[in-house]
Amino acid sequence: MTVAPTSARRAPVRVRHRRDASRLSKGQLAELRQAVSRAQKIGDDRGYQYWAGVHGLPLPRYCQHTSPLFLPWHRAYLYFFEKALQDQVPGVTVPWWDWTSRHGQGLPPAYGRAKTPNGKPNPLASSPIQPAGRREASEKRTWRRRRGSPAPFPLPSVDRVRETLANRDYFTFQNQLESIHNGIHVWVGGTMGDPWTAAYDPVFWAHHCMVDRLWYLWQLDNPGARLPEAYLDLALPPFEMTVRETLEVTALGYDYAAGTAAVPGPSRG
Amino acid sequence: MVDRFRSKPLELPDPEQPFARADLAFYDVDHSQGSFEVRVFLGARRGLRRDAGTEDAAYAGSFFVFGHERCHGEEGHCDVPTDRDPFDFRLPHHLEPGLQLLTVTDAVRRLVEAGKRKAPVDALVLGPEGEALKALEFSHLRLLTYA
Repeated sequence: MTVAPTSARRAPVRVRHRRDASRLSKGQLAELRQAVSRAQKIGDDRGYQYWAGVHGLPLPRYCQHTSPLFLPWHRAYLYFFEKALQDQVPGVTVPWWDWTSRHGQGLPPAYGRAKTPNGKPNPLASSPIQPAGRREASEKRTWRRRRGSPAPFPLPSVDRVRETLANRDYFTFQNQLESIHNGIHVWVGGTMGDPWTAAYDPVFWAHHCMVDRLWYLWQLDNPGARLPEAYLDLALPPFEMTVRETLEVTALGYDYAAGTAAVPGPSRG
Repeated sequence: MVDRFRSKPLELPDPEQPFARADLAFYDVDHSQGSFEVRVFLGARRGLRRDAGTEDAAYAGSFFVFGHERCHGEEGHCDVPTDRDPFDFRLPHHLEPGLQLLTVTDAVRRLVEAGKRKAPVDALVLGPEGEALKALEFSHLRLLTYA
């Protein structure tokens, strides 16, 4: 897909595609791991720790939950985090974890396996937590409910999500989607189960990408439906973005694709 | 804070007035405790089992709270202001209680078709490991039906 040029002097630009985390090619997954791994090694405000900390600890806590701004704030958050990853590996995008399918496997293997196929630690399986981001001094890395321990409830069904997408009113849709989203945080457990620390877990981003994708699908089904006018010019701190600026994903340079494949064309001589 | 709740019987829709959708709205739900699931049952008998779940005939659905758990600021940081200046344009305090909307159309329809005119709402509160958690607090609940 292309979108109109951002300036009259520039050519139309191609948007980037966010993809299903379980359907990434080897190359796409390797690039994502490389971007996250590089970001995890940066200690300043370009790095993973900084972006994870924006959500909760260290204070101030910026995340918006049980709030009219839940979806716009997290869309802005993903956008800026993705930009930070693209600074490390150009073109990389955050994938989504489709928690309505493949319930037997639980987390997408890209995020669930402790090691990469070549035996290195998987940067998508866990992350260090900066000292100021820890709930307890001993909580140096992210952790999840132990693999194999019974989940307290099943992951959401396709029907539950369809029912939520069928809402025509923005706030009702957002309210029910947020509740489903809350359940995923509890389901993963550990660091993810607490808003203070959730964003340190790499799967947080794939989870929120799915939430953002569902909002996008709802927007496609409900053209023009959005938050009331009074909310549109609100800022979404700490991001330099308003609610209005989050409403169209292609204007933010991305789109959602079930899959992508490309072949080279004839070279322009 | 409670780990289970049983309401007084709620009036169900008149069988002569068809509805397309029914929601249970829980108002002013506290989210200052840990994260939890609330399993909601409609028309259950008294003495609902603590571990009742989706297989129970009265199960209507679940909602989830992403709880704040504890305050990492200093004293007063997580106190929700009780009085707000009309010129205070800051966003609401992060612990303002919230609304939880649960669609329960099938459960209400089953009861109405079975001739029930009233039904209590039961709520079981479960923590991340499925344990009983005293974390539920809300001001009131309402059954909303839409034609």
